[in-house]
Amino acid sequence: MRVLIQSTASGILIGGVYALVGIGLTIIYGVMRVINFAHGELLMIGMYLTWIIFTSFGVDPFLSIAITIPAMFLFGAFLQRVLINRVLNALPQNQILLTIGLGLVLSNVVMLIYTSDYKIITTRYSSSTINLAGLPISTPLAISLLITTVITAILYFFLLKTDTGQAIRATAQDRDAAQLMGINVKRMSVLAFGIGTALAGTAGALVSPTYYIFPQVGGAFTLKAFVIVVLGGMGSVIGATLGGIIIGVTESLAAVYVSSGMKEVFVYVLFLLVLLFKPAGLLGRSRM
Amino acid sequence: MKTFGRIPLTASGFAALPLLIVAAVVAALFVFPWLVASPYLLHLMILLFLSVAMGESWNVIGGYCGQYSVGHAAYFGVGAYAALMLLQYKHIAPWWGVWVAIAAALIISLLIGTICFRLRGPYFVLASIAVAEIIRLVVLNWKQLANGAEGILLVDIPPLMLGGKLVTDWLSKTPFYYLGLILALATLLVNYLVQHSKLGYYLQAIREDQDAAHSLGINLSFYKNVALAISALFTALSGVFYGLYIGFIDPTSVLGVDLSVQMVLICIIGGIGTNFGPVVGALVLVPLSEALRANLLSKFLFSTGVVQETSRVGGFLKENLAHAHVLIYGILVVVVILFMPDGVLGFGKKLIARRARPLSATPTPLVGGLDGSA
Repeated sequence: MRVLIQSTASGILIGGVYALVGIGLTIIYGVMRVINFAHGELLMIGMYLTWIIFTSFGVDPFLSIAITIPAMFLFGAFLQRVLINRVLNALPQNQILLTIGLGLVLSNVVMLIYTSDYKIITTRYSSSTINLAGLPISTPLAISLLITTVITAILYFFLLKTDTGQAIRATAQDRDAAQLMGINVKRMSVLAFGIGTALAGTAGALVSPTYYIFPQVGGAFTLKAFVIVVLGGMGSVIGATLGGIIIGVTESLAAVYVSSGMKEVFVYVLFLLVLLFKPAGLLGRSRM
Repeated sequence: MKTFGRIPLTASGFAALPLLIVAAVVAALFVFPWLVASPYLLHLMILLFLSVAMGESWNVIGGYCGQYSVGHAAYFGVGAYAALMLLQYKHIAPWWGVWVAIAAALIISLLIGTICFRLRGPYFVLASIAVAEIIRLVVLNWKQLANGAEGILLVDIPPLMLGGKLVTDWLSKTPFYYLGLILALATLLVNYLVQHSKLGYYLQAIREDQDAAHSLGINLSFYKNVALAISALFTALSGVFYGLYIGFIDPTSVLGVDLSVQMVLICIIGGIGTNFGPVVGALVLVPLSEALRANLLSKFLFSTGVVQETSRVGGFLKENLAHAHVLIYGILVVVVILFMPDGVLGFGKKLIARRARPLSATPTPLVGGLDGSA
């Protein structure tokens, strides 16, 4: 029983970060209907950015998100303007292939510069735990869940209460209608891709103290992000939050009770089951 | 080879010319190993044939039927694993093992087809990746099944005897060259036959508009599954060929997502849904990535004096450029999608058509299947 509670708790902790990755993907999909296959690679860029800031300036990975978030936002906005914007009206297959190509370019450029050696960020709290109601909980994961919660709350507030956030949601609901209402949908697309990229980069920064950093780390995250988004319902932010936590807990339980190598198999099987029996996802109806 | 003669490259009746060209190229390829002794060149040609075979196999389901499977590594890997495991552990010669490989790939394709063809568009793409990843992770982590991450190292292939006479002992590259050539030609022929058959028309109808095809009485899941089975069969054959030629397989090299993506890229870069698109794609990709792998590009940069070999940048390029051959796939696919969505072949044809237009009053129709393809 103790093991069950413990692994569920650590699943929720990592699920928070997954949720962040998923929300980024779902916002991009919601606003532009483009499936971003380079999402994991953007997360990988965030990890490397954190690692660079950590090794050259000694800034704590959790503090460095103050630099990572705006930098990744600008990078995302740039990618949208230069690449993604050109295929907004192309066939969905071509959009997918373009982002796959972008992902290959990103991971290989990073490999070219930093080689494929594994990097790690070791902080003094990396392997420490804090005691929560008798359960030992990994400190970096606890901090990252805290930051994730804050960021998600800010994002919800932004999307629900501010004018720009509402414009983004309107664009996601109906691009043409939003344009007719005087919303600058092109700007919303740039914003959405920037926010999505910033969220992926933040997730990368948050997991960097607990993960190996290497150029190919993104692939697994891309696929997982899709699983999360499809599980929650494409385009639904609340769904992605829920999906992230479900996937985190599933992985954590599978790792404890089956084997850690097989944990992703369970995630993908769950994904196929959702696709087959509830293709709209858990909260597929509501868009954002 | 006669069937190739009926491809009208232009509507002006030059049927004999393409036939002659194709026959000459094929004949040249058959005598190539007699004239060229360099094992490296033969190796390059074998890689080229393998890429052509992989691309043409994928083209059946992705190009004609419009179902962008990004999980074809599943068939490739299952084929390679089936043949190599039978050879290594049960000492069953690959020419018998290959039938088991085909059967395994067909069973898996039926399984994947039943699950994934209920989904459309991006969902299908994602489901196909997920299934292939499940297979990779199971092979990787279930050590008793297929030796896990260590993979299978082939010791030797038994000599092929036919009627008491030794055909080949597999020691040189030449037998692999001919095997690869035959495989590539076979997949080309299959593509041609599919495109010009009733099946091919059904598949293209499904690609253009699934609902319209369905309302015309085309059984969607049946024909998609047939196309996937054909595609899986030849992908598995390519996998067996790869395994025998390289002599080592592991879950990353024959079941990874990278491999699936590579199959798609060969078609996209050449021209999707066309007979010769994957050939063009392979002709572009294989030499380019080999040039990077063999460090030809950095040598070229040094010899032209763009970068000094002794400088810091030069040393860096020399050290690392060889590992980045996948980068070329990425850059090429971005460029192709943005600037020539019909692939290199389609782009070339458009250029020729534009130049030819002033000569004839009516624009000449191009080979069927090109129109409206992605």
